[in-house]
Amino acid sequence: MDLLSHLALGFETALSPVNVLYCFVGVLLGTMVGVLPGIGPTATIAMLLPITFNFEPVTALIMLAGIYYGAQYGGSTTAILINLPGESSSAVTAIDGYVMARKGRAGPALATAALGSFFAGTVATLILAVAAPPLARIALRFGPPEYFSLIVLGLIASIALAHGSVVKALAMIVLGLLLGMVGQDIYTGTPRFTFGFFELYSGINFVSVAVGVFGVAEILRNLEHETTREVGIRHVSNLWLTKEDFKRVAAPILRGTALGAALGILPGGGHVLSSFASYSLEKRVSRRPQEFGNGAIEGVAGPESANNAAAQTSFIPLLTLGIPAHPVMALIIGAFIIQGITPGPNVINDEPALFWGIIVSMWVGNLMLVLLNLPLIGIWVKMLTIPYNVLFPAIIAFASIGTYSINFNAFDIYAIVVLGVIGYLLVKLGCEPAPLLLGFVLGPLLEEHLRRAMIISRGDPMIFLTRPISAGLLIAAALILIVTILPSVRKKREEVFVEED
Amino acid sequence: MRRLLLAAAALAAMAGAAAAQDYPTKPVTIVVPFSAGGPTDTVTRLVAEPMSKSLGQQIVVQNVAGAGGTLAAGQVARARPDGYTVLMHHIGMSTAPSLYKNLPYDPLKDLQTIGLVTDVPMTIIARKDFPPKTLEELVAYVKENKDKLTYANAGIGAASHLCGLLLMKAIGADVTTVPYQGTGPALTDLVGGQVDFMCDQTTNTTGQIKAGEVKAYAVTTKERLKSLPDLPTADEAGLPGFEVSVWHGLYVPAGTPEPVVQKLNAALQAALKDENVASRFAELGTAPVAAELATPEAHKERLSSQIELWRPIIEAAGVMAK
Amino acid sequence: MPKSVKDLLAGLAFIAFGLAFGYAALGYELGTALRMGPGYFPLVLAGILVALGIGVIVEGMLAGEGGDIGTVPWRGAALILGALVFFGYAVQGLGLAPTLFVTVFLAALASQRTGIPTAALLALALTAFCIAIFVYGLGVTLPLVGPWLPV
Repeated sequence: MDLLSHLALGFETALSPVNVLYCFVGVLLGTMVGVLPGIGPTATIAMLLPITFNFEPVTALIMLAGIYYGAQYGGSTTAILINLPGESSSAVTAIDGYVMARKGRAGPALATAALGSFFAGTVATLILAVAAPPLARIALRFGPPEYFSLIVLGLIASIALAHGSVVKALAMIVLGLLLGMVGQDIYTGTPRFTFGFFELYSGINFVSVAVGVFGVAEILRNLEHETTREVGIRHVSNLWLTKEDFKRVAAPILRGTALGAALGILPGGGHVLSSFASYSLEKRVSRRPQEFGNGAIEGVAGPESANNAAAQTSFIPLLTLGIPAHPVMALIIGAFIIQGITPGPNVINDEPALFWGIIVSMWVGNLMLVLLNLPLIGIWVKMLTIPYNVLFPAIIAFASIGTYSINFNAFDIYAIVVLGVIGYLLVKLGCEPAPLLLGFVLGPLLEEHLRRAMIISRGDPMIFLTRPISAGLLIAAALILIVTILPSVRKKREEVFVEED
Repeated sequence: MRRLLLAAAALAAMAGAAAAQDYPTKPVTIVVPFSAGGPTDTVTRLVAEPMSKSLGQQIVVQNVAGAGGTLAAGQVARARPDGYTVLMHHIGMSTAPSLYKNLPYDPLKDLQTIGLVTDVPMTIIARKDFPPKTLEELVAYVKENKDKLTYANAGIGAASHLCGLLLMKAIGADVTTVPYQGTGPALTDLVGGQVDFMCDQTTNTTGQIKAGEVKAYAVTTKERLKSLPDLPTADEAGLPGFEVSVWHGLYVPAGTPEPVVQKLNAALQAALKDENVASRFAELGTAPVAAELATPEAHKERLSSQIELWRPIIEAAGVMAK
Repeated sequence: MPKSVKDLLAGLAFIAFGLAFGYAALGYELGTALRMGPGYFPLVLAGILVALGIGVIVEGMLAGEGGDIGTVPWRGAALILGALVFFGYAVQGLGLAPTLFVTVFLAALASQRTGIPTAALLALALTAFCIAIFVYGLGVTLPLVGPWLPV
């Protein structure tokens, strides 16, 4: 019954007119920056932080949280419409979502993303309310060896991202891993692959990679055929899901929600894996895996749900332990501090109205998002009819300002150019960009956790097998590898012939 | 369009020609070398508000994170010396010359000090089931088990890294370091018991200490903290003379006209007397520096003495970004 | 001879990247498998990438995708990449308004369907739109006119 009184307190807080208003402002802004390529929730929250100084603490945090998960919604819109993921998670959505859009099914893709996200958000918020503290304890049992094994599992599972050649996909992952190594080594301070530029010491910015290999590469691809065929999408079949669609997305949404909610709790890289893991899972359990990469609606439903569930549950370590899971969470910690609240395990007891108010506001915010986004689908789809020669300069403009405003570092823009060229060439040669992005995000984590585990174990590699969680994850990885390699050797060969780019 | 451009150009020219006496005639930017939301960013934003009031101009806080803060410092060192680009930096300003070879600026020559802002205390903490009960026991325990223990830090050049180096020197042991990418993950593994101990700023640790998620041994300042009154100082608890703080200060590019420096300093002095700043700093477990430290001279003195203090320690530890 | 030129080139590209990263990694301390230095992990990855590059070529020989490479929009590519480089180079000095105008103008010309008047119009509209959204809406702290412009 405790839970009920807590939720009542939460509703009372979250439904006060001011909080509802700022929750709305937050999700609206979030959607907006999610949709604009380049600029993401991190940069936006950083810029809006000072505005929240004069708010009540709970209002400030409700708004900032709203920006964060609102951006997760908005990010998938750009991924689906123009093949430009704003976050690593929406890179997966772009694989099938963009193909759907090009086939005139942008409406159903966007609707699926919104409905899946809403369902996932609701479930994950409930999990947060019921079991946040015990889940946070479980998350703490994940140390460097466990994270290393988890990421290995994630990488192996993500071979499924490839719908063409598996070898090429693997090569793209490894190239991504290597690009992720650029910057200062955190163990020795040695700058790697920086050509002596201090600007590269912190590594290549994720947004630069995404805008380069997805955005710029796609624009160049489209310019190839400019004179011979129309690039835009002429016919749009329907805006809403068909009965058949509903049947197809139900199970992926459920599985994605469960997977995402579980991974989101892990602060050391879990939420990054959620959408990739969900996509792999869906492709594996599907009876029509050959449709993945060619506009399978399951490939949008699963990852989008997983991504949003993880976005919500990644608040668990923050709210219960005061530990940030990723940069956005670190900013929100900053907001706590500026508001005079010491982030930490005591927040739940010392500031119950704040804690429960934020949780309930997340559900309210998700409801607002789905109500906001479903009517917007019509407008977004209309945007596709904007002539391409107007659309792509706009993408370039938004991406430049957005990327630059993250760190005010001109190198982030130059990185777009370099990665755009690399991305364009490789895509032209039949490679896919999503695995590269996955490798880029996971590379630093993989190395970091591996080396850290070896330091902690004093150089004993058996640590990965003697710790039960880690051993379990590695066994799962080995099984997936075997299951993938055996049948796929034959099957993939056939697919290669069937598939025309 | 043409007219617009002309008008814009004229406006900009006026601003550029404005004499130092009229400073400031447009918004002043304070560059923070770390991401928004971190301790340095928080300190900056708290001080910026009253400073902007006394300058009569808006202050814009810009986060230029990267390369342990050297990116922002280099950028400000190369900026126009007109007082419109100001840098907030912490102790890292004094360690960068030892940590980074080929640093593209000289902290003492290319930047002009405005004044110190605050000394953020640090705490020595450990996982909650770590056996020693007091700092004295910790010192003995670490010496005895130095090959079995690990201690965390938030990355090369981070405050926790520097404090750890100093602690190892004080204890006289060399325990395996486990570097992390930022305080968040380091604290996560400490709370989860994956590493044994660390030393970090009160801004990050106070909440965990109060909740009993980590065991606290000492604070690294001369006096005990109001926010953690039961925590002894390192000096009284068994490491005589052990004192380290994350000092913050404001800088402008070298060559900035004297009247501008004076005006910025006056604004800083006023901000440090602001009640809101004092109370917010107290919540962070820190306090504004005394008025005599918030001067260009005292700040420069601190900078040069700290550069000399850290050089041998960092060189001995063998960490240098080649 | 591989059936697919695409696969051959892709394989060669991966091998080249692998060799480049591997060569650079050799310059960093390698350490041992138990105590890895900064060069260890990248070197291992670079080796794997070279192997995979060879794998791509072999796969292309056995079951190539076929098809030629197609055209490259040289002019468009040069204009778009040039526009981005210009933005990075000039935004701090010229300020957001003029930089963005030139960037969009150049990018717009990348399309063969866009003439100079249309490009200028588009640049003007997008610059105004972006300033409204980013500077006034989101509070991006970029000067509209930078220090290079005053005489």
